[in-house]
Parts: sequence; structure tokens; C-alpha cells
Amino acid sequence: MQRRSLLALGVVSAAVLAVGGGLIAALQPGLREVRLSAGGREVFSGASRGLLDGSLPSGGAALERALEALLERIDGLIAALPPHAQSELSQLLALLASAGGRRALAGLSDPWPLASVADIQQALQGMRVSGLSLRQQAYQALHDIVGSAYFSDPQTWGLLGYPGPLKI
Amino acid sequence: MAVMSSLQDPIRDGLRGGWKVMGGPHGEVPPRITCDVAIVGSGAGAGVTAELLAKAGLRVVIVEEGPLKSSADFNQQESAAYPSLYQESAARKTQDKAINILQGRCVGGSTTVNWTSSFRTPVATLDYWRAHFGLDSFGKDALAPYFAQAERRLSISPWLTPPNENNDLLRRGAAKLGIEAAAIARNVKGCWNLGSCGMGCPTNAKQSMLVTTIPAALDLGATLLVETRAERFELANGKVQALLCGPVKANGAPASTDSEATSIVARHYVLAAGAINSPAVLLRSGAPDPHGRLGRRTFLHPVVMSAGFMPGKVEGWAGAPQTIYTDHFLETQPIDGPIGFKLEAPPMHPVIFASSVVGFGKEQAALFRKFADTHVLLALMRDGFHPQAPGGQVKLRGDGSPALDYPLTEFVMEGARRAMLAMAEIQFAAGAKQVLPVHELARPYESWTQAKQAIEKLAMKPLLTKVVSAHVMGGCGAAGDEKRGVTRPDGIHWQLDNLSVHDGSIFPTSIGANPQLSIYGIVNRLAQGLAKRLGGRDVILG
Repeated sequence: MQRRSLLALGVVSAAVLAVGGGLIAALQPGLREVRLSAGGREVFSGASRGLLDGSLPSGGAALERALEALLERIDGLIAALPPHAQSELSQLLALLASAGGRRALAGLSDPWPLASVADIQQALQGMRVSGLSLRQQAYQALHDIVGSAYFSDPQTWGLLGYPGPLKI
Repeated sequence: MAVMSSLQDPIRDGLRGGWKVMGGPHGEVPPRITCDVAIVGSGAGAGVTAELLAKAGLRVVIVEEGPLKSSADFNQQESAAYPSLYQESAARKTQDKAINILQGRCVGGSTTVNWTSSFRTPVATLDYWRAHFGLDSFGKDALAPYFAQAERRLSISPWLTPPNENNDLLRRGAAKLGIEAAAIARNVKGCWNLGSCGMGCPTNAKQSMLVTTIPAALDLGATLLVETRAERFELANGKVQALLCGPVKANGAPASTDSEATSIVARHYVLAAGAINSPAVLLRSGAPDPHGRLGRRTFLHPVVMSAGFMPGKVEGWAGAPQTIYTDHFLETQPIDGPIGFKLEAPPMHPVIFASSVVGFGKEQAALFRKFADTHVLLALMRDGFHPQAPGGQVKLRGDGSPALDYPLTEFVMEGARRAMLAMAEIQFAAGAKQVLPVHELARPYESWTQAKQAIEKLAMKPLLTKVVSAHVMGGCGAAGDEKRGVTRPDGIHWQLDNLSVHDGSIFPTSIGANPQLSIYGIVNRLAQGLAKRLGGRDVILG
């Protein structure tokens, strides 16, 4: 499994390097007018279920609401990034949202919305400790954006035992 | 939930009093401006320069890419502070994404958001500059009066309030091991000990450029352009002919199709945009660089971190950050030997904590729940003193924005390993139940023996080891001859006679200490010299 996804990634990386934006332009962009596209939302929603398992509500409508609010905050965070970072992120999300890119880059067989938390976490761990910097960079982008966006909302601070700033 | 300051806001008072501020919400910038001196940036170097030149009677225009925000805006929340006050929303990264860089982008620059740590340039660093870069005039005694003036002007003095627990743990752990630790001087006046320095001081206690030199310059008639990016210099005949700049949006994207909508014509130009943006302006300008020095030797004080889980509350968000330090590990080997590091205890807030805690899922959630009991140490490594710590290089992307290529060499990463060992030992000595080096392959360790064995075997590789930086230096290095530097010892560009560089980018190595006071003190001398050269009145800072 690991061996196969590495080989597949080799093909994708070579293609990305060879044609630059050409291949990526053929995919659906991860951002549309600086908001997550449908594919981008699926990637972040799935990655968040894996990353924040144990921090997010455990399921049902509460989980759905928390994910919806988190995606809103991710949109806000992305809007504040400079153009070069937005365009890189859009390309990364385009890759991760496509079936081939998802399998090659994340090592995830099922589409993000259908994948189990365990499968998503296995995929995240594979990226995290991968010998390929592209996969590590992808993992860290998801990790940092999801963590930052989640805990930027005061409603999440209870988990941290953080009381918020002192009133002055 | 938002907590707005109800205190006096000297910036809003100044605006009401008629300060000349344009750009963004303050009115359109005209297509052509003339003045004596145009200053790019409004941070540590720019602020000191602006105050001195305005006092000398020169007509000054300051060009800042970020917004003018002030105490009434500072609500102590990361979600508001990072997008509005930091470069790239506090997510600026090196080219390979292995280092996250915190840098200010607002009026006051990084001084508006820094953690107030104030050190004079270490003597060992000045000695190295004299020996290797011909900076003979950079002696300790020669600089001392300039540092003393900056310290008086910015209320830099020993911090007498007891340290918060996060810092006291460093003091106690070090003491147990016989390691000397000391208090850090801070640039504050009437500090409330809130711990929110990184989000902009809501009480105006921090004596940043935002509340000191920039208001002083504006009171003396200087003009401030905000949300306006310096695109490039127009060069001809070995001189700068004009500075071209244009409006930018909140995220730094051009706000107009004409990114060079305004032309500023001055007798002299001062570049003080920080050590990534200053070289970038020169690169975009096609500035002469006959010896291949521009943008090279850019230093970061690469930082690695260690989390200690304590038996009691630490609450690292409360109280002044970085009030205790130890230089023990800078001094255990020669300055040009294995890389040394300085240890400090940073502030802790939810967003920075969540994005720094490695891992995910239930394991990470368990770490989140220990946030209040978490002690964090950081080690900032002294780069630039060894052939295998040559720093990075500022380059331009296709859209003209700067990218820093900073390879983390094995030499530097071995320093990171020693730093993680030193921090873990101190944290266990201070009573930690567990210590977690901030590294993708590390686990919380239960004892010093276990941590030591594990850290000695960790793969110290970029992207596995969490590395951050809040100090960017170099890229327009000063030197006694043009072969070794971009600027002369007086800050003037070797090839462009009416251009000075007055920020941390002139440092030929890293400092080996938090750099703000090095910039204040050294630029104080450069700006006094420049005032004389331009025929202004004799001035001193203060």
C-alpha cells in the first residue's frame, strides 16, 4: 500500500513538475474567488474530522455545525493570505480534491466525505512522516490551517482551559 | 467576547489633531510627492530614523505597507491581530515551508507586535563583525552612547515585576542545574503585565515605534503613507531618482491596476522595510550588486521548542512574556564553533499553541487539554558565524513578492538537537512530569533519561522538526569594503549614493539576541550621521 502510493506520487510529482500549472489548471481549483470551492470544502471537512478527532463534537448535528463554522473560519483565514499563498493553496486543494491526487498525495482511497476517521488519520500520518517534502508540506498546511482556524473561535477555548484575555 | 481598550489612544488623538496620514481609509495618496527623505517601512529602524531626521528639520515621508492600527483596535485576540498586524497573516514561510516567520506588517512594524525583549548587541558579535567584515567603528564603547540614548527614549530598563510562572520555571530549572539565568530588560512604561504584547499593546505601555518615534515625527510635520507598498526605486546615474509605490489591500494584494501609482522624489532614500522586504525592494529595482551580496546571508535565529507538562498551572498566556533568559549555551563553545543558542520562555495563546502542537486526533486533543499546565521553552540559534550556517537568500517570485530560501543545514539541525536536550533537562529539573520536544516523531517522555535517549536518536530534519523564527536579519549586510557587503559602515549603499539601509538587514550575521535594541542603537548612530550629511541640525535620540 505504502509502496504503491509512493510510486503513484512519483508519477504525479513528475507530471506536476513537468507541466507546472498545466496539469493543475486542468483540475477544479481549490479556491473560487478566495473562498473554498466544493472540492476544497470536502478536503478541509475530511481533514478536520481526522485532525480534530477528540476536540470536535463526537458526531451528529453538533459535529456538522462545528465543521460548518470551522469552514467559515478557514475561508476567513484564507482571505487574509497574500495572493501567492492563496494560489499555492488553491493548487494543493485542487490536487487533494481530485481522485488521483487524493490517492497519490494523501494515500486515501475513499473520497474525503466517505472516508472513515481512521482512514483519514492513516492518510494524514503517511503524509506527516513521508520522505517526500511535497507530502509533508501538504500535511502541515492542513494541520496548521485547521488548528489555527478552529482555536481562533472563543467558543473552543473551554477545551484549552483558556479564559480569554483580561478585560481592561 | 471582544475586549476593546477603553484607554486613551494617542494615535486617534494625533489623527484628530491633524497628522498628515494618507492611504487606506486616510485618503488617497497623490501621484507625486516631493520631500527631503523618503523612508520605506515604519518599524524599528524606520521609526528611529524618522524621528531624528524630522527633528533635524528635514521633510520626511514614511511609506508603510501595513495599516495604521492602535490601542483602540487591539482587542488581545489572535484572530484579529494576525491578519492585520503580521506579514502574510503570521504564516510567512521559507521557500521549503520548513520555517514559519513572525514579522510585523503595520505601522510600527515588528515593534508593534514583539515581546519587548531588549538586549544590546553582544560584544562577541561586534568583535566578529570587526574581524570578518571590517566594521572597525562598531566597537562596544563607540556604540554605548547610542544604545544609552535609545534605552532612555524607549524606557528600556530591567523588569522588576516577578516573572510569570512560564518564565520562573526557566529560572528554577536552570538554577537546579547550576545554569545562570537572568532577567530581560523590556521597553515598557507602566506595563499592566497582561501578556498580550504579540497582539499589539492595548494599554500603550510598550514603547514601540507606533507610540514613540512615529508620533514624534508626525508631530514635527512628517507624512505617513499607509497601506502603500514601496514597489521599486527608479535608478539612473548611480542614484535613486524616485521611489515608486502603490496601494495594497489588507492581504497585500495590489489595490489598483497601477502598482506604481505614486512617485516620491526625495534628496535621499532610506530603506527600512525589514530583512526580507528591504532586499526585495532592491531586487525589484535592479539595484547594482557587483559582488553578489544582495539578499544573501539572510539570518533567522532558527528557533526550536520544547513543551513541559507541569504538575501545576503555568497559564503561559498570563503576564509579561520572555522576562527570563539564559545565554549559558551561547557561551559553552566559541562563537564560530558548533552553533550556540539562547533560551527564553515565550507567551502562549490558543492559535499559536494549536498550530505549534504537532500531531493530530485524540493524542493531540489530550495535549490541548493540558494547555494551562504547559511550559514552553524556545531556543534561538545564533546563525551566521560558521561556514555551515550561512543563512538564506531572498529571491523574488514571479509576482515580485519575496521568498526566502533558507536551507536548514545538518550543522544547524545538530544545534537543534543540543537545544532540545538542554530544554528537556531544564524542564525536568523544574519539575516537569513529561517533556515533549516539538518534533513530528517525538512523544511525551517521562524522565530526563528517557528524553535524552530519544532526542539523541531523533531524525533532526526540516519539516519533521518544528522550526520558527521571529528575527529576520541580514541580506543588505554592512561591511568595510564593497566586496563584502551591500552597505557601507555608515549605512549608505555601496553603489547608490543617495540610498541608506537602516534596519536589521545591514547586520552581517545574526545578533545572538533579540534584535530590536541592536536596530535602535545602531540605526540611531547611522541616522544622526545622515542628518548631518543632509545638512540638518545636530540631533540625538531622546
